[in-house]
Amino acid sequence: MGDSQYSFSLTTFSPSGKLVQIEHALTAVGSGQTSLGIKAANGVVIATEKKLPSILVDEASVQKIQLLTPNIGVVYSGMGPDFRVLVRKSRKQAEQYHRLYKEPIPVTQLVRETAAVMQEFTQSGGVRPFGVSLLVAGFDDKGPQLYQVDPSGSYFSWKASAMGKNVSNAKAFLEKRYTDDMELDDAVHTAILTLKEGFEGQISGKNIEIGIIGSDKKFRVLAPEEIDDYLREVE
Amino acid sequence: MSKSMVDVPPKGGFSFDLCKRNDMLSRNGVKPPSYRKTGTTIVGMIFQDGVILGADTRATEGPIVCDKNCEKIHYMAPNIYCCGAGTAADTEAVTEMVSSQLQLHRYHTGRESRVVTALTLLKKHLFNYQGHVSAALVLGGVDVTGPHLHTIYPHGSTDTLPFATMGSGSLAAMAVFESEYKEGMTREEGIKLVCDAIQSGIFNDLGSGSNVDVCVITKGQKEYLRNHLLPNPYSYINPKGYGFPKKIEVLLTKITPLREQVHVIEGGEAMEE
Repeated sequence: MGDSQYSFSLTTFSPSGKLVQIEHALTAVGSGQTSLGIKAANGVVIATEKKLPSILVDEASVQKIQLLTPNIGVVYSGMGPDFRVLVRKSRKQAEQYHRLYKEPIPVTQLVRETAAVMQEFTQSGGVRPFGVSLLVAGFDDKGPQLYQVDPSGSYFSWKASAMGKNVSNAKAFLEKRYTDDMELDDAVHTAILTLKEGFEGQISGKNIEIGIIGSDKKFRVLAPEEIDDYLREVE
Repeated sequence: MSKSMVDVPPKGGFSFDLCKRNDMLSRNGVKPPSYRKTGTTIVGMIFQDGVILGADTRATEGPIVCDKNCEKIHYMAPNIYCCGAGTAADTEAVTEMVSSQLQLHRYHTGRESRVVTALTLLKKHLFNYQGHVSAALVLGGVDVTGPHLHTIYPHGSTDTLPFATMGSGSLAAMAVFESEYKEGMTREEGIKLVCDAIQSGIFNDLGSGSNVDVCVITKGQKEYLRNHLLPNPYSYINPKGYGFPKKIEVLLTKITPLREQVHVIEGGEAMEE
């Protein structure tokens, strides 16, 4: 890469105007397991592959989709440990917001604060950017919302998005299938079909994870049995 | 936000820089402002299915009643509540802070909070401030290990008891408990005993008054009975009615009914946040 001379320090721009470390971080995300999110008319669904390194790993102990507040959930593509750190920070920020303003944090505010944390690590000495992109799904007074946050700290609101290994195929599939008046159940089916597209091996409730939030404003991760039910409906 | 790698805890504690100035002012006759205390009678007891907490609702600023219906039973976790006596601001701030910490702990562990966790977080904080945070608490709840009831003193010491009272009305309430309490009471007996104890504080202690709040916590369920008893109703109706003194001639009588108040009903529960 011609910019390699400028890739030693995070805080140095390359001649082409890029921060090379962030490009590398995005590459790390692009080689992570596929995850996607779809915003329906009455809720949001986020899903991810859960490919474990060996059959000996206890898959019940691995939870890739996490709760940030009762009405906001998050999934990632990229480095798991970086994700854990961000989840911890975000939960604390949500609690501090609640302590200060006595209202549950709106989705946009939490996304903004998490993105600010990620941006800090691109402009400080001695640290590296987070190697994760997040998909934040929430339901508040403004309705269902889906945000993607990148390692650079930029965030976008999406109707449907995918990240990780199979991103171009997944996004093409979503573009074809997405409709504005989708219901939450349809969105779950579409999410499963999108994951199935690029899945190597037999898809089952044990090697994918799905989180949904509906008009009850309570985020929850589906149990493997519920995922199996949806899989049967899809077939 | 700091840009350092390591999370340095913020420099907390009180700043005692103005103590000398305050000393000088009081020597020269300037009285310090009095703060709002919850004179208070707060009680808690363990019954056969769990824990019952009770409190009065009077808040005082010296000799003045500043709030006739304040809430002294604070939410800590879905299965843990805490009554607070002492300086109202201190009890509010401390219980909210620990409630927030318990919520974060629940996210990280995925488990229901335990009463001893709340107890330890509270006593650590109060001990750190060496009694300057004037909060005397009765903490009660039901978790996986069973029902628990604790008292916490402003300096950070704690007791674990089957029944407890705190506040200026604690002696009046304790007298009722000592004579009537028995192990394994039913819900109705327990609520009646708690109400009797609080009323004893309301009528015999100047720092306590107004209404009785009760909170019943059992395994998997809690009932917050706000203003369960109102033994001091507001009855300021002048029996003679209102009119002008006899010498005044009434020229015109016009009655304008006030606009109806709009009731905003928010979705969700009021207590749990």
